[in-house]
Amino acid sequence: MKRFGLLITMLLTSCLVSAATSDKLRIVATTSDLAAIAKAVAGDKAEVYSICTGKEDPHFLTAKPGFIMQARDADLWIRIGLELEIGWEPPILDGSRNTRIRVGGKGHLDASESVLILDVPQTTVTRAMGDVHPMGNPHYWLDPFNGRRMAGAIAEQLANIAPADAVVFRKNAEAFQKELDERMFGGELVKAFGADTLWAKTQDGTIAAFLQDEASKSKTGSWIVAMAPLRGQKIVTYHKSWIYFANRFGLTVGAELEPQPGIPPTAAHLIEVAETVKAEGVKIILQEPFYSAKAANQIAGKTGAKVVVVANSVGGQPEATDYLALMDLIVRRISETR
Amino acid sequence: MQFRIAIFSLPLVAALLATQSATAQAPSTGSQRSFQSFNPDVSAIVDMYYHADDSEKGISHILGEMSGFGHTHAGGEHHHHGPDEGFNLRHLELQFSADVDSYFKGSAIAAIDLESAEMEEAVIETTCLPWGFKLKGGKFFSDFGYINAQHSHQWDFTDQPLIYKLCLGDHGLNDKGMQLSWLAPTPFYLLAGVEAFQGDGEAPLFAYDGEAPLPAHDGPRIGVGWLKFGPNLPGNHGLQLGAFGAGGKVQEAHDGNGDGTEDHWLDGNSTFLGADLVYKYNAPQAYGDGDFVLQGEYFSRRKDMALVGHDLVPQLVGNSKVDDQDGYYVQAVYGFLPRWRGGLRWEQVGLTNDSDLPDGTSESYGSSYRTGAMLDFTPSEFSRLRLQVNQGSYETADGKEDVTEVYLQWMISLGAHGAHKF
Repeated sequence: MKRFGLLITMLLTSCLVSAATSDKLRIVATTSDLAAIAKAVAGDKAEVYSICTGKEDPHFLTAKPGFIMQARDADLWIRIGLELEIGWEPPILDGSRNTRIRVGGKGHLDASESVLILDVPQTTVTRAMGDVHPMGNPHYWLDPFNGRRMAGAIAEQLANIAPADAVVFRKNAEAFQKELDERMFGGELVKAFGADTLWAKTQDGTIAAFLQDEASKSKTGSWIVAMAPLRGQKIVTYHKSWIYFANRFGLTVGAELEPQPGIPPTAAHLIEVAETVKAEGVKIILQEPFYSAKAANQIAGKTGAKVVVVANSVGGQPEATDYLALMDLIVRRISETR
Repeated sequence: MQFRIAIFSLPLVAALLATQSATAQAPSTGSQRSFQSFNPDVSAIVDMYYHADDSEKGISHILGEMSGFGHTHAGGEHHHHGPDEGFNLRHLELQFSADVDSYFKGSAIAAIDLESAEMEEAVIETTCLPWGFKLKGGKFFSDFGYINAQHSHQWDFTDQPLIYKLCLGDHGLNDKGMQLSWLAPTPFYLLAGVEAFQGDGEAPLFAYDGEAPLPAHDGPRIGVGWLKFGPNLPGNHGLQLGAFGAGGKVQEAHDGNGDGTEDHWLDGNSTFLGADLVYKYNAPQAYGDGDFVLQGEYFSRRKDMALVGHDLVPQLVGNSKVDDQDGYYVQAVYGFLPRWRGGLRWEQVGLTNDSDLPDGTSESYGSSYRTGAMLDFTPSEFSRLRLQVNQGSYETADGKEDVTEVYLQWMISLGAHGAHKF
């Protein structure tokens, strides 16, 4: 009887707790990067939770009961999409019995629908090619331009759910985008030329020549300027997860340590990669902390290339506290290896 | 499309469209998303294994003769998927699933083996009920415990735990019925479910015949209830605790003098109670390296039957027979290298193993145990190779039998990428 009383008390408390917080929206994002951007956009109007912590490989996760509980109370579910979460998202959404956040629902946002996607297979794909994502490479958040678009999409979705605060969400998204533009290009460049012009120049590659230009040479302290000396370089990455970042900053990915997406490095493949590194003069081997650094170190030892281990998600390393800090960290780690 | 343009200034969009590099593709405008259709997700699973054991009559025979867990002839023909010496093809499992409309989702799984095809699951589920409710109907695996609702290819060991095999047969509790479940609005995970099944006699514990001299009972003949509780563990730790119980009709027909014809019949009720535990640690490393799973389940079952007919000793008719048995398994699986896992399983059945017989006497039997060790390699998410060794000591009518078994399993999954529950 005592236990029953305790249970009833707990049930009532949970009702009170949820009543007390019900004026705030609850956002659950699949990854910490989505959560960080959602936090910036929602401000104090929402509580934001993330399924991934940023420390683990988002391809492999277990749909544990705690995640189902978070999804149960969510007003908005945001996912990366492109089948990144395919191994664990369906049982969470289904288990939550939350009709708001089902695919197609008002509370379900697939962020991939509002960004630029790379690596969309143009030929028939088979699983003999490894864990290929047939709708495109899902690591798009590593392109800061996509970060900008993700903020816009989240603001519009929130405005749709809570129209009363639409102005706040849009204002927050604009502030986030402005801050991002300034970190990308530096405040003075943005002021002088406008963010849109500058982003367009990173898209068509003319930004390099533009930065060479006497007039803008002195504008330092931005991601684009820090990365400028590395432009045109070939890098090697562990997984096919850095293509968006590389593409935006004018790097090319010469090879991956994985012989195929989702297959760990093999000795035979690493010999090939080492040859590529030597032949192409690759200086940087880039990888996430959750992969073993053994293969990268082995190639570095043979070739003199440098291994850069850096988080690709917010929370993956202590410095990556939010989306802009993550980009700061990645740019710093890569640019300081010169 | 409207909001996407709204978040951009128009010149930027124009610049982007004009300057898009060859590999970049604007979302939604390309053809890539248009390949989506309303076809259901389809997948096929091929699961084969090689089996060898050192017993004379084979492990399937021994498991059929275990003291206290003896077999019945009621309920018609049971076809056994028990391992044969040599090559075994478990079955080809064809799965289809999709949202039906905004109210229901459906899935169908056909298990095709060499002789026949059967409907493993055909399920309609609601997706629209409020307050955390879900209604499920069709033919499906009961969600009690942990391993019952898993398909054989999801198991971490090639064979099912002994207690499951002995109480519920090769398929576990899988039947026509309905389920109502409720996700409670508690600050921790709490899922409760009740199920009613027709009880068509597939599971030994709920064997049903319904033909004279056994009485007929209207369905549904099995009721199940379960609770699952998941505390909020931090980080990458997940825990689920469960409790379950079930009750239903049971009928047995026996051949007491061994002349090949049934000579006495029993009718009554079966119940089981149990608990389950699953703990998972999801290590940050890729490819399952460092992942750990600990799971265990305990069952206690009771068959309370009355003799409804006896051709040899008719004066015993009306007397009762009560069987009490239990069992458990505990297993742990660890990813010791990327893509490689090793696991150990310990099982015991018949810790309680008593029968009160219709002639007024009682019998107590000993317990049986089995240890298993497995090593598996997962080349990709869609294929797996496994080596498993079992060493068991079984209490049978012919005395204690020690059996060593070896399994070599090879399975693949084609088609849609299936996600697995916790």
